[in-house]
Amino acid sequence: MTPDKSDVLYGTLGLMVIKTLEALGPLHGYRIARRIEQISGNQLALNQGTLYPALLKLEQMDWISSRWGLSESGRRVKIYALTRAGRRQLHREEAQWQRAASIVERFLKISEDPL
Amino acid sequence: MTRLRILLSRLRALLRSRRMDREMDDEIASHLAEAADDYVRQGLSPEEARRAAQRSFGGVPQTKEVYRQVRSFTLLEELSRDLRYALRTLRKSPAFTLTAAATLALAIAANTAMFSVLNAVLLRPLPYRSPERLAMLWTEDPTQNLREGRSALWDVDQWQRRSQSFADLATFDSVSTLLTGPEGVEQIVGASISPNLLPVLGVQPVLGRSFSAEETELGQGLVLISHRFWQARFGGSSDALGARLVLNGSPARIVGILPADFQIGRFDADVWQPHSTHRGGRGPQTWFVIGRLRPGVTFEQAQAEMSAVGRGLNDQLPANERNQGVTVVPLSLYVVGPQSRLALWILGGAVFCVFLIAAANVTSLSLARSTARAREMAVRAALGANAGRIVRQLLTESVVLAVVSGVMGTVLAVWGIRLIRAFGPANLPRLNQVSVDLRVLGWALVTSLLAGILVGLAPAVTTLRRDLRPSGEESGRSVSGGTSTRRIRRALVVAEFALAIVLLVGAGLLIRSWWYVTNVDSGFNPGRVLVIEVSPPPTVTVPAQRTGLYSRVLEEIQAVPGVVSAGLIDDLFSDNPRERVLTVERNDGTLSERLRFTSDAITADFFRTVGTPLRRGRFFSTGDGPDALPVAIINEAMARRSWPGDDPVGRRLKLGARDSDRSWYTVVGVVGDMRRQGIEREALPQMFVPLAQDNPPGNVALFIRTSSDDPLAMAGALRAAVRRVEKDAPIFGVAPLEQQLGTYLTQRRFQTSLLTGFSIVALLMAAVGIYGLIQYSIATRTQEIGLRMAIGAQAGDIFRMILGEGLTLSLSGVALGLVGALWLGHAGSSLLLGVTASDPLTFTAVSLLLTAVAIAACYFPARRAMKVDPIRALRVT
Repeated sequence: MTPDKSDVLYGTLGLMVIKTLEALGPLHGYRIARRIEQISGNQLALNQGTLYPALLKLEQMDWISSRWGLSESGRRVKIYALTRAGRRQLHREEAQWQRAASIVERFLKISEDPL
Repeated sequence: MTRLRILLSRLRALLRSRRMDREMDDEIASHLAEAADDYVRQGLSPEEARRAAQRSFGGVPQTKEVYRQVRSFTLLEELSRDLRYALRTLRKSPAFTLTAAATLALAIAANTAMFSVLNAVLLRPLPYRSPERLAMLWTEDPTQNLREGRSALWDVDQWQRRSQSFADLATFDSVSTLLTGPEGVEQIVGASISPNLLPVLGVQPVLGRSFSAEETELGQGLVLISHRFWQARFGGSSDALGARLVLNGSPARIVGILPADFQIGRFDADVWQPHSTHRGGRGPQTWFVIGRLRPGVTFEQAQAEMSAVGRGLNDQLPANERNQGVTVVPLSLYVVGPQSRLALWILGGAVFCVFLIAAANVTSLSLARSTARAREMAVRAALGANAGRIVRQLLTESVVLAVVSGVMGTVLAVWGIRLIRAFGPANLPRLNQVSVDLRVLGWALVTSLLAGILVGLAPAVTTLRRDLRPSGEESGRSVSGGTSTRRIRRALVVAEFALAIVLLVGAGLLIRSWWYVTNVDSGFNPGRVLVIEVSPPPTVTVPAQRTGLYSRVLEEIQAVPGVVSAGLIDDLFSDNPRERVLTVERNDGTLSERLRFTSDAITADFFRTVGTPLRRGRFFSTGDGPDALPVAIINEAMARRSWPGDDPVGRRLKLGARDSDRSWYTVVGVVGDMRRQGIEREALPQMFVPLAQDNPPGNVALFIRTSSDDPLAMAGALRAAVRRVEKDAPIFGVAPLEQQLGTYLTQRRFQTSLLTGFSIVALLMAAVGIYGLIQYSIATRTQEIGLRMAIGAQAGDIFRMILGEGLTLSLSGVALGLVGALWLGHAGSSLLLGVTASDPLTFTAVSLLLTAVAIAACYFPARRAMKVDPIRALRVT
């Protein structure tokens, strides 16, 4: 897929979403948003609203599934869960991110420590 | 496939957008509520918590907007990106694109045109109210192998009284009608119908009204006219209503105008007059009968009931007419008979085979191209495109290609439909209604998309299988194409040959039938014979006057230079003669039977003029006058039927039952059988009497044998001769006899030439297919060939290897195709004449032809392979 700018953003966010779902199991939208904010040490100024288009996209890709259920406080909410395809995608993206991160890291080292 | 799923979920979203909107609202609302709860727990007041929740969420409307975009709009955007890319790729290789598009366009055009015929003739419902409940009813006489006989009004009346299946029964028949107009008298086609015919059909006049039963019984001169007649005579003006026509010498008032194209099957007329359905007794006249089933009654139930009614009626019929039955035939089956249906389906199937072959060829081309593009695909895969993306791109390309071809094909088809309407067989019912409608366009679209998928699928699948290894392994020169690509292409060539042979065998069998039919002894020698149909003017009413007029006309014509001989008959061709009672004297006594036969008055020179041979006895002479012994000539079919194994000359026969007061005729001659009900049908029993001894008919056909190869050139002189005798005599239908006989063959000619055309196209495409494959396989195997030669293979070995490859493919295809052809032959055997469905000659000839074509297609590439220079082939890296 040729990624455009929003794709990149959704892509990163999407990775965070599926990782969250892998770690904590099925969650509704607000819990996912809170979890991402907590993990990033509240450093990520996430507009919680941007989560929903990302969730929809992930669902279209069949990486997550959704159903209506009840929240802890008894509210009717949509609960998202990771699918098997999503788990596979997560492993792929994890590997890619680590590779990319290590490359970037090495580059950064070069600039710090010129030959 | 993920892409497909996204597409589907987006399409679903498009369809259910309101519900999805509501769900999104609910979801956001509960999100905000949950967030507010959290803030309240942190100690904020409910109002502050609500605002904080809003803040951390961001703009609700913006979110919804993005959400909606994700849901639907990106779909269009991505689609247009794919389309642009596909168009660019196709433009980059114009040779491939043009070849593929032209091939597919022709195939789609042929398919669409053929479908439009099937659509108009077979699929569109007949233009009556609830046409599926209309049936033709026929009198059946198993002893005479007669299934579709006309029926007497008395019988119809009895059927109606004794049966429950039909809501109503109506009768109709054609009548020859003379129209007296300002320019003189002319012959037009008239119909005589029962007053309830239009209500039974559920048809309303476009203007005016139909007749009532009372008016009909009163015998008021009323007439309905056809739309065509209305346009031609009255310019479509409403003044026509109430206008008077003079028909057969008596006035008739126009009460209504029928809808355009109104006809009952092949039955058509310009003026429609009612006949009374209440006549005492069971007269000699018989009618076509049409009935409307009551709701819920099936044709089977109606048939069962009518069979019982027929048996019940037998007791009331004269002894020689017992054992009659009633046949119920759905109107649609009567309008287009089983043979025409079969032929049309076969032609439709044939043209679809051509389409498949064309698609196979284009597939093969695009497979070859996809191998060449393997490197491009590998690069794109390396750059991050996943397999699904590449497959989708390939499919988009082929669908774009197919849609372009489809548009071109549809334009061509419109043109083809015009050709079919102009040159198709005129006696194929409803052919004049062939047109492009939504269903035809839908079919064009379906075939185009099918072509796109067929053409794109194989390259896509092989691309997926190739696993897009970026190593470039597949593009290595040591491997000849991809193995799977090659396997598919070989299978395609085998399939092409199999389909081609099925079509060729079909065409071969039809050609053999055509050859048989055109060489069958028609009982005529039609060359150089001109036919002119003449009526006496309405002022001539006394029979003796007509006899005198006819003989003076013949004398005048015989005096025209260039005329060899001239004869006259009342009506030469009759599709469906009525059955009548005939009584004959035999060794074992006098026999009366109801029989389908013709009886015509002729003049002495008639047989000599049309070239019908005398088998026994003599022709008529001028001695067979009104006062001489009544004589008759019969054909061989009647001789066989009435005097089997005996010489009929000198025997007597008469029309009507044993006790009828008609006079006895003595048979003086037996002539050869004339195929007067169509070249393809065996001659019926026929008898002829001298014109001078008969009541002279109201209109006659003059047959003139000329000394010119182009008898039509004499038409002017002959018309003038008729006019010299009687200037008011209506003359119509001047045509060479050959042409009149030829009209019987138009449907067969149409079928034969179309199937032959299709099979030639199939053959050429199969040849191109195998040529392309072999050519390509040699191009990719140059190195291998060089290697083989380097280690000692002779040029001849290489030649044999390549030719062997081609032959294996074509022979496999031929073997498969012959099985299909046998099946097709049996399915279509009712279309064949004078040849069996498994005719060994056709099968052998076609197999040899196809093998020869395959060899020829492989010969040139193989020759080139022989000339490969091993040094150069191996050196190139």
